[in-house]
Amino acid sequence: MSVMKKYRIFSLIASLFLLSVVVLCCTKTRLTRTTSNSPNIMDYLKNDSLNRFTKLVEVINRAEYATELNTYGTYTLFAPTDSAIDAYLKEQNLTSVESLTKEQWQNVLKFHLLEESLSSSTFTDGKLSAITDYGQYLITGIKNINGTSAYWINRQAVVTQANINVGNGIIHAIDHVLEPSVSTIAELLEKDTTYSIFTQAVKETGFYDTLNSIKDNTGSQVWLTILAERNQTYRDSGILNYAALKNKFSNTGNPKDASDSLHLYVAYHIIPDVKYLADIVTTNSQSTLAPLEVLTDKLVNDTVLINDDSYSTIDGTVYEPGLKMDLSSSDQSATNGVLHTVMGGLKIKVREPFPVYWDLCATQPELTRLSSVYRKQTFLFDYGDGNTFAGIKWEKSCLKYRAGVNGYLGDYWQVGMGRSSSNTDNLGTCSGNSWIEFTTPLLVKGKYKVWFCYYRQNSTTSSVQALFDSVPLTSALIQFDKKISSVDPSQEANLAAIGWKWWAGVNKKSGSTAARMLGVVDVKETGQHKIRFVLVSGANSDCNFDMVQFIPVDWPSQISPRFNPDGSIEY
Amino acid sequence: MRFINRYILFFSLLLIFSGCSKFFDKQPEDGIIRDDYWQTKEQVHAAVIGVYASLMGDPDDDDKNLDITLFKWGELRGDMLAASLGATSNDLEIMNMTTQTANSIVDWSPVYKIINLCNTVITYAPGVMDYDQTFTQEMLDGYIGEMKALRALMYFYLVRSFGDVPLKLDPTSNDDEIVQLAKSTQAVVLQQIVADLAAAEPITLTTYGDQATDKGRITRYTVEAIQADVDLWMENYTDAITACDKIINSKKFGLIANSSAWFTNLFRNGNSNESLFEIQFDQQKLNDFYSMFGVSSKEFIASNKVMDEIYTTEISDTTNAMDIRSAGAAVRAEDNVIWKYIGNNATSMIGSSDSYTHWFFYRYADVLLMKAEALAQISGRGQEALDLVNVIRSRAGAPASTQENPDVNSVDELSRYILDERAREFAFEGKRWYDVLRYAKKNNYENISYLQDFVGSLVPSNTVRLVKEKLLDHNSHYFPIYTYELETNKLLTQNSFYQ
Repeated sequence: MSVMKKYRIFSLIASLFLLSVVVLCCTKTRLTRTTSNSPNIMDYLKNDSLNRFTKLVEVINRAEYATELNTYGTYTLFAPTDSAIDAYLKEQNLTSVESLTKEQWQNVLKFHLLEESLSSSTFTDGKLSAITDYGQYLITGIKNINGTSAYWINRQAVVTQANINVGNGIIHAIDHVLEPSVSTIAELLEKDTTYSIFTQAVKETGFYDTLNSIKDNTGSQVWLTILAERNQTYRDSGILNYAALKNKFSNTGNPKDASDSLHLYVAYHIIPDVKYLADIVTTNSQSTLAPLEVLTDKLVNDTVLINDDSYSTIDGTVYEPGLKMDLSSSDQSATNGVLHTVMGGLKIKVREPFPVYWDLCATQPELTRLSSVYRKQTFLFDYGDGNTFAGIKWEKSCLKYRAGVNGYLGDYWQVGMGRSSSNTDNLGTCSGNSWIEFTTPLLVKGKYKVWFCYYRQNSTTSSVQALFDSVPLTSALIQFDKKISSVDPSQEANLAAIGWKWWAGVNKKSGSTAARMLGVVDVKETGQHKIRFVLVSGANSDCNFDMVQFIPVDWPSQISPRFNPDGSIEY
Repeated sequence: MRFINRYILFFSLLLIFSGCSKFFDKQPEDGIIRDDYWQTKEQVHAAVIGVYASLMGDPDDDDKNLDITLFKWGELRGDMLAASLGATSNDLEIMNMTTQTANSIVDWSPVYKIINLCNTVITYAPGVMDYDQTFTQEMLDGYIGEMKALRALMYFYLVRSFGDVPLKLDPTSNDDEIVQLAKSTQAVVLQQIVADLAAAEPITLTTYGDQATDKGRITRYTVEAIQADVDLWMENYTDAITACDKIINSKKFGLIANSSAWFTNLFRNGNSNESLFEIQFDQQKLNDFYSMFGVSSKEFIASNKVMDEIYTTEISDTTNAMDIRSAGAAVRAEDNVIWKYIGNNATSMIGSSDSYTHWFFYRYADVLLMKAEALAQISGRGQEALDLVNVIRSRAGAPASTQENPDVNSVDELSRYILDERAREFAFEGKRWYDVLRYAKKNNYENISYLQDFVGSLVPSNTVRLVKEKLLDHNSHYFPIYTYELETNKLLTQNSFYQ
């Protein structure tokens, strides 16, 4: 019996072994790639089957970079071919590679070398995402020659072979040696006489030195971006010379004074960072050297527009057409940043603050485009990847849009704060959230009272605090269970004095159509801001977020107008 | 000892079944049983049916199924998809026009696999006449016609996606046997496609006796539909009209009328009177679309443009409803879910085990719009073209907001209108990119700027100018050859744009 058992085990093992052998035999052969058997940069350059890099190898040896380029790393090397290096030598009136010193070649090579591996799929219309070892950015683009498109590096060299993957990084073969910019922004301005009026303003306001420095007081690299204006732009608006410009803008007569309007005017043309056009269009506002003044930008087809804004007032949308950037004379690299040309008179906008009666639903395009949902049916929006709405972020789970109710426009966001939301129309519930955040419409800088309008639904107590750009509003918490005790029109001034009002019109007003004055905010920068609502205590499954009103503190009325579920407004 | 024998026997059998399971497949895949095969007409029949079964996918490699390949090749570069949670970096590369050669979506092996199966039948079926006296010339011709047409269709996908491709017309015994074959130019491959279709058209049967088979196998009308499509691509407009007219005049097809059952009849059930050729997925062999569009980590949703601009949410005056092809057919408008392959009807979604909505190669609506496109290019026939577009639009109940009023004497206005209408009619049917490219490239790329603006509106804002410049190189309109192919077939040269 025990012998039998042994046999059984033996045969079991034998069969399993056989099985595994056969299974292995049936696997298809696939080519494998490992980093270990790829050559490193130096080996690749030396052994290139097309012999394109013999001169580059000489240069690297002369600069004593060979060891570095053959050690472990994640480099990107823009590798000039032999003809590129020959052309470079000829241009510099040099006879051979030996004519430059080790240090000189090191500087040349550093501008071709990055510490991060960047394949061509990361190339954009602007700068590379990593800086060269030389300390200046390279910009990328595409050049089309006779119907063939190739990557174009720094507007100097065309990539002849991209994405050569090697053990310690990636090589792009290029047909010209890349040369770093030698001029500062100030020098670029100075050189081009078509900017002379603007350049003189830069000098007279004292910004020339700022734009001419490469290191700041602490020794770190200065990066600036300037939006320069051409003389023609000034002439078109009747400003024939610097004197006329000064006459128009300078209010103190001393442009060096930081509060002088001409000083601010020039400061408004300078962005304190290195921003190529492609970088500018990825965010929609840019801070400037003018304190608290921002530029807005947008991309329309392939035109970059500056300060092309519309903002909504109670009387409708106001549109201010923007200024075009001149593509051909923009993206000029300097040692300390980049120079662009803006066409058509960029100046600081003077706007008075105006009230923003902000409906939290009607301003979300992801909702309003759903014509079968918006103002028609209650709907649960998936959390998705957290970007379901560009203008609303919340902690977790779904977000309930509630239609057919007594909010302004007949809707509101109904959020369970601290506990699950109620199961409206059997659609299901969303988990309790501890916060929700909205991006505001454009607010002109100034001081505002912030009113929060909700529809009181149930009596479970909960307290929610609002934070404007992360600063808590402290006049009042939102208690979604609290009604207005009396909606007596003769008492509205008294109520307003203690931070209460009703937001609905005369036929719809009730204790539940309540608005709370949360506090006063001082908006420092014209633009869009964030308001976040955070649960402080309690839990309420039906917190109805309807409107937020930003009303300038000195506005004639904090109470009027009022808003109805059918969309009408009573003044 | 009995135990040893029993175990060894059991496991030996097990390994034969599991290790190389294709042994029991009927079709001569991977050529294992070629020597014993090709003796009777039943075997030829089984082989041909096997080729159609292979259109449903590769049991070995779910990622490389033909439906995924055809969908992504036709839609990823179009304007109707948006990436969702499950989108891969490979998807995004192609959507952003930064395709690298190691991107497995450009692996063409699912298409060449079908071509190889067609080649096998075309090569070996004639020999069966020597063994089986009941196998007639007419029967043989029918099978050869089907296989040549299917091969032509597959090559047509390849030339539209890659431009120049290797033209392989002989069977290889094993899919993985490496064939050293250089590329042929797009023109040469198109020539072969035209020749194959011309040979197939007269000999392919017009019916196989029942409706379902007529939609799942290639009939003469399908050959003519492929001919029309190829003619449009090659700008042979009168030939395209001739081919479409043959189908129209057969009076065997019609448009499924606008009704509450329209979506279910046409798409969910399939095999309708409107259909010419479909991949007939079924409960035994599901398609890949539920996992792409139906699950919470879905790969794609519809872009906002689909409901905002392509269909709009306006109500038609005649049907008093939105365009029947829009919400509840192409998409679920509330959350942009791509509905065409996962809807049971306009409102309820199928379950994951019911993902067998067919893939539509050609529908009668396509025949009408292909004819319209050809007519639009010929002076004096613009009104006929517009009339056909209006037939399609009135069936769908298209609202006034998507109606354009092109000048019937303007080739370009008509062509643009037809292009827009095709987007509405064939949403997510794998045709969008080819339609846009065909429009852009005609007359020596007279509409290249349309293509630049089209693609420019789809890519990230910091690469718009770069991408527009890329598109000036016509090679960028075609995919690179997949790295694996380049490494195994040394005669291949990479598309110069990707070098």
